[in-house]
Amino acid sequence: MATTRQDVSAGRIARPAETARRKPIDRQDGAAYMFLSPWLAGLFLLTLGPTLVSLYLSFTQFDLLQAPRWNGLANYERMFTEDQRFRNALSVTFWYVGLSVPLKLAVALAIALVLDKGLRGLTLYRALLYLPSLLGGSVAIAFLWRRIFAYDGLVNEVLAMAIGFDGPSWISNPNYSIYTLVILRAWQFGSPMIIFLAGLRQIPQDLYEAAAIDGAGPVTQFFRITLPLLAPVVFFNLVLQTIDAFKAFTPAFIISGGTGGPIDSTLFYTLYLYQEAFAYFRMGYASALAWVLLVIIAVFTAIYFLTSRYWVYYQDER
Amino acid sequence: MFGSVSRRSLLGGAAGLALAPSLGRDASAQQRTRLRMAWWGSTDRARRTQAALEVYQRKNANTQVDTESVGWNDYWTRLATQVAGGNAPDVIQMDYRYIYEYARRRALKPLDEFVPAPLNITDFGQANIDTGKVDGQIFGVSMGVNSTAMFYDKTAFERLNIRPPDHNTTWAQFAELCTNMTRAANRRGFFGTMDAGFVEPAFEAFVRQRGKSLYNGDGRLGFVRDDLAEYWDYWDRLRKAGGAAQGDIQALYRSTPETDLITSGRAAVTFAHSNQLVAWQAVTQNRLGMTMYPKGDRPGQYYKPSMLLSMSATTTQAREAASIINFIVGDADAAPALGVERGVPPSARMRQAVLPTTDELGRAQIEYIALLADKTSPLPPPPPRGAGEVEQLLRRVYETISVGGARVPAAVDQFMAEAPRILERA
Amino acid sequence: MNADDAAFAAPPARGLRAVRGLLAHALLIAVCFVMLYPVLWMIASTFKPEAMIFSDFSLWPYEFSLRAYIEGWNGLQVSFTRFFFNSALVAGLAVMGNLIACSLAAYAFARLNFRFRNFWFALMLGTLMLPYHVTLIPQYVLFLNLGWVDTFLPLVVPKFLAVDAFFIFLMVQFFRGIPRELDEAAMMDGCGPWKIYLLILMPLSKPVLATAAIFSFIWTWDDFFGPLIYLNDINHYTVPLALRSFVDSTGRSEWGPLFAMSILSLVPVFLVFLFFQRLIIRGIAMSGLKG
Repeated sequence: MATTRQDVSAGRIARPAETARRKPIDRQDGAAYMFLSPWLAGLFLLTLGPTLVSLYLSFTQFDLLQAPRWNGLANYERMFTEDQRFRNALSVTFWYVGLSVPLKLAVALAIALVLDKGLRGLTLYRALLYLPSLLGGSVAIAFLWRRIFAYDGLVNEVLAMAIGFDGPSWISNPNYSIYTLVILRAWQFGSPMIIFLAGLRQIPQDLYEAAAIDGAGPVTQFFRITLPLLAPVVFFNLVLQTIDAFKAFTPAFIISGGTGGPIDSTLFYTLYLYQEAFAYFRMGYASALAWVLLVIIAVFTAIYFLTSRYWVYYQDER
Repeated sequence: MFGSVSRRSLLGGAAGLALAPSLGRDASAQQRTRLRMAWWGSTDRARRTQAALEVYQRKNANTQVDTESVGWNDYWTRLATQVAGGNAPDVIQMDYRYIYEYARRRALKPLDEFVPAPLNITDFGQANIDTGKVDGQIFGVSMGVNSTAMFYDKTAFERLNIRPPDHNTTWAQFAELCTNMTRAANRRGFFGTMDAGFVEPAFEAFVRQRGKSLYNGDGRLGFVRDDLAEYWDYWDRLRKAGGAAQGDIQALYRSTPETDLITSGRAAVTFAHSNQLVAWQAVTQNRLGMTMYPKGDRPGQYYKPSMLLSMSATTTQAREAASIINFIVGDADAAPALGVERGVPPSARMRQAVLPTTDELGRAQIEYIALLADKTSPLPPPPPRGAGEVEQLLRRVYETISVGGARVPAAVDQFMAEAPRILERA
Repeated sequence: MNADDAAFAAPPARGLRAVRGLLAHALLIAVCFVMLYPVLWMIASTFKPEAMIFSDFSLWPYEFSLRAYIEGWNGLQVSFTRFFFNSALVAGLAVMGNLIACSLAAYAFARLNFRFRNFWFALMLGTLMLPYHVTLIPQYVLFLNLGWVDTFLPLVVPKFLAVDAFFIFLMVQFFRGIPRELDEAAMMDGCGPWKIYLLILMPLSKPVLATAAIFSFIWTWDDFFGPLIYLNDINHYTVPLALRSFVDSTGRSEWGPLFAMSILSLVPVFLVFLFFQRLIIRGIAMSGLKG
C-alpha cells in the first residue's frame, strides 16, 4: 500500500502520546478505518442508537408500557434534591468499589505470581482456582454465602471455637453485609488472575536471568522488572475492574434477593436502577440514573488515564 | 405488531439453518393459527400446563400454542421488555398486584366482550369474577382461589407437646404461644414465629380486623398512624420477649421457600399464602400444617386470586386467546393435568374434576379454602399505583426497628411521611 | 526486605527446595479447598434427596442416587442435549467473532496512526460504562424490527461487530507490549499493515488471544440475560436459561436437577479453559529478539 511505503520512509509510526505533539505526516487513515470497520459498524448500527435513546429517555417520564412523555430535567432534579435512596445507593457503591477493587486485584496478582512459577501440576491449580469465577451469579453462591456468613455460619463457628466470640449474622446485619459482598467479589478473582498470568508470560524471561546474574533477589526483581513491565496489564485490570465494580448487579441481587436489604445496606447503584426501571416502572428515571453513573465512571477512568503516563510504560514507547 | 410467522420466514433469508433450528417446523405450520402464552413458575407447572395445552391442541387442530415459561423474577423483566417492544405474548399469566399496573397502562385487553362465550366463567361466583376486575372491566380471570395463611411446623409442635395455633387463636394468644414455644425449644437461633412486622398481607389482615384497609377507594392509605404503631409495637414486644425471630436472623429471609425461617429450622410459624404450601413442604423434612392468621374482632382475610390469566392488548387473535383462557380455567378436560398446582380452581365444575387427582397437600388447600367460607370479608379497594413501592417501604422501615434498633414511634413517623409521597409520585 | 532478598537469592539446598515445594503445594491445596467448597457441596447435593439439600451441609452424601442427573437431563420439555448444542453453537461463534473483530480494531488502536483516534478510543471505553438495563428496551426494539427475536442472531452478530469493548481494550494493552521494532523490521521488508497484523502481531499474541477466547467462551456460555430476553421458544434455549427454568422463587424449585445440570454445564467450560490456557505460554520469539 502506498501509505505504508511512505511510513516506512518516515522511519516509524507515531505512538498515541506523540500524535498531539507531532504533525500528522505519517497517518494511515485508510488502513486504520478498514481495520476499525467492523467495530464502527457495530457502534453505529447496534450500540449508538440504543444508547442515545436511553439518553433521550432520561429526560422523559417512561413507564415502559406507554409512550414516553418529555419532562425536561425533572428526573435529574429529583435525583439530586430529594432522592434519599439515590444518595444511599451511591455511598454503598463507592464503598464497594473502593474496597473490592484493590482487594480483588491484590489477590489476583498474588495468585498469578505463585502460579507463574514452575510448580508441578500448575495447570490443574490454575483451572481449579478459576472455578469460583465460573459459578458467576449461580443460586448456589447465594446459599453458600449464607452458610458461611449467617449467625450460625462457618465464620461464627470458627470464631466461637477459636476465641469464644459470639459473632453477629454478618450477611444480614446492615453494619457488615456489604463486606460479605466485597469478599464475594475478591473470591471471584479468576478473570484478572488470567489476565495477569498472560501479562507475566509476555515479560521476556532473559531479563530475569540478567537480573539474577547482577545479584537481584525475587523482591527486587518483582519491583524492578515484573511490576514495571506488567504496568499496562495492571492498568487494564484496574480500569476494567473499577468499571465492573461500579456496574455490579448480580451479587447484590442474588444475595439480598433483589431488595438491597437489610435497610438498603446492599443497595448497589445498578440494583436501585433496576428496581426503579422494572419494579416501579420508571424507566425514564432509571435512564437518568444510568447516565449519572456513566459520568461518574467516566471521571474515574479519565483520572486513571491522566495519571497513567506517570506509571504505565509500554514496550512500544521505548 | 409483527406476526411471529412472517418474522421467522423473513429470517430464513438472513440466517442459515443453524441459527434458526425451528425453520423447518414453521414452514409446515404456516396454515395454523399460532399464539403465544407466557407464565412464570416451576418445572412442575410447566409440565402440567404443557400437558393441558396438548389436550387443547388435539381438540383444536388448527391452533398451535407456543409457550414461554420462566421463574418469577425473570418473568417480569422479560414481560415488560416484550410489552414495551410491542411483542407481548397473546395470553399472559398475571399477578394480582401487577394486573393494576398493566391494565391501567393499557397493556391488557378487557375480556368482558368474550363472556360468556367463548369465556364461560359463570360458575365462578361473582366474588371470584370481581377479583379480576380493574376499574369495572374484567382484565384477568382467576386461575385459583387463594388466601393468606399461617404455616406451622407440626413436627416441632408435636415434639414439644405444645398445641399449635388454629383459626380461633387471637393475636394475644398467638404472642403467648410463640413465646412459650421459644422457651420450650430452648435452642439458640430458634423462635416461636417469624417476625411478620414487615409482611404486608399480615398487616393488611390486622387493619381489616380493625375495620380499616390498606388503601381506600381514592388510592390513599386506608389506615392511620395508630394502626401501624400498634401493629409494629406488637411485633417489637414479641421479638423482645423472644417469641419472634431476632432482627438479623429474620433478615436472612429472601422471600423464597428455602430461605424461610420455618423451612430452615429457625422458627415454628411463618406467614404465607395457602397455595405456597406445596413449595414450602418440598424443602423441609418436618411436616407443615396450615391455619388462618391470628383472629381479630372482624374478619381480616379475603379470597384473592393466586394468579390470573390475561390477554395482551395487542393480540391479533383475541377470540382464540379467549378460548384458550376458557380451556385452562373452565374445561374439565384440562383439570386432570393442571390439578391444584395454581391454587383451588374457582370454577365449581373444575373443582369437581380435580378432586380425585389431588394428594394430601392439595386436599389441605381445598379444605382450607372451604374453612374460610364464613370467615372472610369482601375484596378490598384496588391497590393504587405505587403500592408495590409502599410494600418495600414497609419492609425497609420496619427493618430499621428490628435490625437497626430504631424506636417504633420514629419509624412509624418515617413511614407515614414517605408512603403518601410515593403514592403521589406514582 | 533485603535479608529476604539475600535468602531467596542464594541457591537453596536440594532438601530446602523440596520442603518449599511441599509447602507451596500444601498451601495451594488448602486454598483450592476453600475456594472449591461450594462446588464440592453442589456436587454432593446432586446425590442427596431434595428435602435434605438445604439442611445437610456435609460434603458426603449418605444416600447415593443418580436420580437428579437423569431427571434433570430430561426434566424440561426438551432434553439438555439440545441446550448444550445451542450453547456450544452460540459460544463458539462468539469466540470466533470476538477474536476476529476485536483484534482488528485493537490493531488499529494500538499500532496505526489516524485521525480522531483518541476520540474513537474514548467512545469505545464509554460503551463499557452504561448499565445494560437502560439500553435493553431500545435494543430489543431494534432486534425485533430486524426480525431477529427468537433466533441466535442478537447473541452472535454483535460479537462479529466487536461490540464488546472489553476485548478491544484488552488486546490494545497487550499489542502495545509487543516491541515495535518487529513491525518496523517487517515494514522495511515491504509489509503493509495487513501483513504485519497477520504475520507478526497475531502469532506473537497467543497469550492474549487465548485469554480473550477463554473469556468470550465462558461469558457467552454463562450469559443468561441476553438469552432470557431474546429467546422465547424452549427449543432455542441455552443452558443457563434452561437452568433458570428449574428455579421459581414463588413455587417449588427443583434443586437436585438444577445442581446436577449446573455441574454438567461447568464441564465444557472447564475443558475449554484447559485447552486454551495451554496457549498462554511465554512469547519465546520475542524474548529471543530482545536479547
